[in-house]
Amino acid sequence: MADEQAVRVMVVDDHPIWREGVARDLTDRGCEVVATAPDGPAAVRIASAVRPDVVLMDLNLGATSGVDAIGEIMGRLPDTRILVLSASGEHADVLEAVKAGATGYLVKSAGVDELLDAVRRTARGVAVFTPGLAGLVLGEFRRMADAPARPQGEPAVPALTERETEVLRLVAKGLTAKQIGERLVVSHRTVESHIQNTLRKLQLHNRSQLVRYAIEQGLADDD
Amino acid sequence: MTSAERLRSAMTRVTLDDVEHPLEPFWRGIIAYRVLTLVTVIAVTLYHLPGYTSMVGAAAVLAAMTVWTGVTSWGYLGGLPGAPDRRGRLALADLVASCAAMATTPLIVTDAALDLGQPGMGSIWTSGSVLACAVAYRVRGGVAAALVISAALVLSKQRFGVLELGDVELLVLAGLTVGFASRVLTRTAARLRRLAAEQAADAERERLTRSIHDGVLQVLAHVQRRGSEIGGGAAELGTLAGEQEVALRTLLTGGAGNSDASGRRDLGAALRTLSSPRVTVSAPAHALELAAPTVDEIEAAVRAALANVVVHAGPDARAWVLVEELGDALEVSVRDDGPGIPEGRLAEAEAEGRLGVARSIRGRVEQLGGTLTLDTGPDRGTEWVLRVARTDGARPGEIRRR
Repeated sequence: MADEQAVRVMVVDDHPIWREGVARDLTDRGCEVVATAPDGPAAVRIASAVRPDVVLMDLNLGATSGVDAIGEIMGRLPDTRILVLSASGEHADVLEAVKAGATGYLVKSAGVDELLDAVRRTARGVAVFTPGLAGLVLGEFRRMADAPARPQGEPAVPALTERETEVLRLVAKGLTAKQIGERLVVSHRTVESHIQNTLRKLQLHNRSQLVRYAIEQGLADDD
Repeated sequence: MTSAERLRSAMTRVTLDDVEHPLEPFWRGIIAYRVLTLVTVIAVTLYHLPGYTSMVGAAAVLAAMTVWTGVTSWGYLGGLPGAPDRRGRLALADLVASCAAMATTPLIVTDAALDLGQPGMGSIWTSGSVLACAVAYRVRGGVAAALVISAALVLSKQRFGVLELGDVELLVLAGLTVGFASRVLTRTAARLRRLAAEQAADAERERLTRSIHDGVLQVLAHVQRRGSEIGGGAAELGTLAGEQEVALRTLLTGGAGNSDASGRRDLGAALRTLSSPRVTVSAPAHALELAAPTVDEIEAAVRAALANVVVHAGPDARAWVLVEELGDALEVSVRDDGPGIPEGRLAEAEAEGRLGVARSIRGRVEQLGGTLTLDTGPDRGTEWVLRVARTDGARPGEIRRR
């Protein structure tokens, strides 16, 4: 990775100890920490200015919501990737963060090397899935599919292909992309793209629901 | 909006309308009563006007009563917004004004008319001041004002017969009833206000607790990471911190998965309590509610499977639990990354009676009418899959969201 350009990271966390610690760890290992922020609004403001490659985001930011900040950052900087690094592991929050556009999730107790690997993969556009996140995403697709009949005009609920479901289940059962590739006799790149597709479907669905809501509320502009 | 904010805004609505000003409807009622009685008194007085000693005096008293009704109506509405509440004093002034109106009776109404049972000046209109005093000063104020008006009534008419006795009874009764209602309403409102304050304090306390817990989680995670980097004795500390971190996080987010009032329990929350640094539990974000005994059985089976992992794959083997809803069935998978069980070894082990734990898992699953399958092989780890039908009526679409 030495010949690669350093990943430009922004660390968002309301705990100074953690913020500094993570920033130091990442700097020591060749990342460029371009900014830190203590809360959601500051994160949105600073990210717009410094345009980081990866935003490392805690969800529990004192009085402000990490999920809202993710939505705003994604709206302004579509090329920036967001990796959620959360201590609380609030399942519903993690799911909302992913729907809002985060492409990865890691618990804070993860080791430094794991974190560094996750940041690099996120920068390359690879989704970072823990088994826990895979379980949440699987459950969410299942819930959407099983939900009672929707009113007319509601966008169709996305469904996972059989292969995508299979891959997610293996992730949730603790297999690595390489192990999954071996089991399914495909390359680990193929596995990664399956995982990424599941996220994209979830985020697209979320976005189409937001647009529909905006139109209903008369908030959408013609342009 | 967070739930605390929602609670706060809901409380603001209740506070403004019902809790801060519980007597507001009473005051508006008194104004309506005042205006209606004024119209009645004007009509009755005009009817009797030709028989009065002083027609001009009667007209002047009626005019004064009309002006005073306007003044008190404005005052009883609460005056200018933000002004201090002076309605108690206004009610007392109202009482005095009402007595004054009655005191003009000997100057205007003839003795003969009073003998015929015609009303004195003011008559029923004056009872409005009793109601106002009752609202402002509760039972005591109401009864005292009723007695004052009664005295004014008797003195101004210089009579005390059956008619007057009936009026006095009605006045005292009105003062008593309205005063009592006003007291009850005020006390209830005070209690509601206290309750609202306590709720707000609770919500705030909960918010603070969450942030403190989050801080503790952060520190534990930090110790774990640094510890494993430094190695040696610090690594041991790090492992301990990691165990506590998982335990605290489970406590905070899973709510321990206790059964609710209807005897149902969230399977996901129940299984999440089994998390540890080497056991990862994955489940949907929404609640998977089942009859509590079913959840207990599944939890016990998963516990047994995890114990089995320790026995056969060693204490360092990692395990993953996945909970899924598949239409009408629930599937729970318990996988470890141990060496797996080579083909043929299973039957052998069963023959040797060494699959006790496995048998206890199977027993529990079969009791629930479910199936148990085993997927294993060298370098593949061991995976138990429990599949249980959702027989207790809860369709997946009806699952409550948390």
